[in-house]
Amino acid sequence: MIHHIVRKEFTDMIRDGRFRWSAILVGSLLLVSLAHGWVQARKASQELTAAQATAREHWETQGEKNPHSAAHYGVYAFKPRLALSFVDEGVDPFTGTSVWLEAHRQNDFLLRPAQDATAAQRIGALTAAQVLQHLVPLLIILLTFGAFAGERERGTLRQLLATGVGWRELALGKALGASGALALLLVPAAVTGAAALVVANPGPTASPLARGAVLAGAYLAYFVVFLALSLAVSARARSSRTALVFLLAVWVVNGLVAPRVAVDLSKRVYATPSAFEFARTVEREMADGVEDIAPPDRDESTERLLAEYGVERVEDLPINAVGVYLQESEEFSNRIFDRNYGALWDAFRRQGILQEALAAAAPSIAVRTLSMGLAGTDVEQHRHFAETAETYRRDLMRQMNGDMTENSLTGDFTYAVGAELWESVPPLEYEAPPLGWVLGNRILSLAVLGAWLAGAVLLASAQVRRAEVA
Amino acid sequence: MTESQESNSGATPLLEARGLTKDYGDTRALDSLDLAIAPGEVYCLLGPNGAGKTTTINLFLGFVAPSAGQALVSGLDVSTHDRESKRRLAYIPEQVMLYRNLSGIENLEYFAALGGQGSLGRKRLIEILGEAGLDAEAAGRRVSTYSKGMRQKVGIAIAIAKEADALLLDEPTSGLDPTASSEFSALVERLRNRGVAVLMATHDLFRAKDTGTRVGIMHYGRLVTELSTAEIGHADLERIYLEHVSDNGGRR
Repeated sequence: MIHHIVRKEFTDMIRDGRFRWSAILVGSLLLVSLAHGWVQARKASQELTAAQATAREHWETQGEKNPHSAAHYGVYAFKPRLALSFVDEGVDPFTGTSVWLEAHRQNDFLLRPAQDATAAQRIGALTAAQVLQHLVPLLIILLTFGAFAGERERGTLRQLLATGVGWRELALGKALGASGALALLLVPAAVTGAAALVVANPGPTASPLARGAVLAGAYLAYFVVFLALSLAVSARARSSRTALVFLLAVWVVNGLVAPRVAVDLSKRVYATPSAFEFARTVEREMADGVEDIAPPDRDESTERLLAEYGVERVEDLPINAVGVYLQESEEFSNRIFDRNYGALWDAFRRQGILQEALAAAAPSIAVRTLSMGLAGTDVEQHRHFAETAETYRRDLMRQMNGDMTENSLTGDFTYAVGAELWESVPPLEYEAPPLGWVLGNRILSLAVLGAWLAGAVLLASAQVRRAEVA
Repeated sequence: MTESQESNSGATPLLEARGLTKDYGDTRALDSLDLAIAPGEVYCLLGPNGAGKTTTINLFLGFVAPSAGQALVSGLDVSTHDRESKRRLAYIPEQVMLYRNLSGIENLEYFAALGGQGSLGRKRLIEILGEAGLDAEAAGRRVSTYSKGMRQKVGIAIAIAKEADALLLDEPTSGLDPTASSEFSALVERLRNRGVAVLMATHDLFRAKDTGTRVGIMHYGRLVTELSTAEIGHADLERIYLEHVSDNGGRR
């Protein structure tokens, strides 16, 4: 019997001009945003590859110089884009994509498109994730707010129920019928997305299709939440107008109000310093040290080396004491960076956890977090790359200072090396975290979305059971 | 009394109310209704608005639960056999409402399938619609182009397709022009001759006398009198009706 209901609902919907136009609009926006995202991602990926090659060439052809000078010369590291970033660009426009790795400093990321964009450009940059998170739920509401309330108003509900069909069968049939109509626009989008994934540069991850499958599952669960909520409200509302107004209010709170409140609240609860305050704190601690992290003392360092090598003059040391001191300075600054950046990342992590918990009030927060995570564009994966880049920077500095220490003597200011050393430094090879790592980080969002799914289905089931004919 | 009625007068009633009562808060919408409609009988419930006619139909359809008593369809208590009792019922409301984006055939196919008839073929669907008075051309058109009379014909077709034991009609001829109303009565007559028990709530005294085999007059939720249409004329029915639905008559 259910297949008759499904078929009727599907036919009725696709013949409805309102559905056709709204589906064409949302479907077009989805396909355009996917295509635009893919083109942008591909372009950014090509630019990144070119910039990476140029940066590497600059490093290798910097000419002969002291290794510590080379450490100051530095090298750029570029955050590679994951294959799915064309679906959801997440925090990338705000966090930046490149960082300059140099001696003594852990620099901020550069190239933040959001910084350069005008407000109009930011609004205009509609991503596939935004369409999926905001417009598809709106379409679901428009398709289903009258599922029961409209039938009740028109009088068809009495005739339907008089046939002996049960409420549950009716609800399931309506849900599947609406899903079928939605599939007309979502399936082509999913196929386009999958094709784009296959032909796209997979980026630094081994599992783009697995990530894509989980992403599709998360969005599917999100849509079912809206479908079930819409049916529940329609079953209980006195009129289709009441159902529509209520559901639109839910949509506004879910998509516009709750995410904003969640971000503001998390910032208030786990405050982070401004960029200026942060830089000033790091600068002050670098100058004076802090608590048990004292800046290295050059005289003490020299005395220790003299004692270690059993000589009385620095000229008699078999190594360059300046190189040792420079590395000690690096280690000191690293501890200051770890202390400050560690606290900052922890604050971001706590903010993120609070936001994920607040998804209990709005499923859009959960699906947005999952979407960014699976696309590789969330704060955690930015941190993963930033820490990889920082580790690379520290290794690079250690290698430069080590070469100076081992191959020159104290006071030898003419020591210089060339391409052989620069080329011996391996380029930064970034391996993005695996799917399990991403899901492990997003366990709260998964749980909250799962709870929304179960809750919405149970609510729909209960409301449909209690629904009245007239 | 008609031949059909005579032959079925002793049969098990297909529609039966036993002390059927419905309260909405402090208001008694239906008060201890006792009623039995045999196969081939058309029972017309007359009464002013609020008399309890639609409540009676809603109770037979299981749309509301009785406060006391029972509504039975083919011997099945509606309260405990919701689906089985509905399977034996067909229902045509005052305004047959259909799906505007579907054709008459598609509407009939849908309602018939939900009523347990499975997938009737297109040919059979057109036949049924034809039997209800809708030609094949109209049957293939979307219902958004239909008049009320055409929608009522689809409603009748749905009832025919269901092959139900009993038919509930709630003001089915209200708003129909005399020709359409007469056609509708003829269709009811045909169903009656097939042994279907019909309960029709109506304000139309003429149609009740013309179509019905028995008439019950309701007022303030009570069945105040019951008549055989064979024994009275149109004028008598009107007089008796007015006597019973005046406030004095109703509260006697």
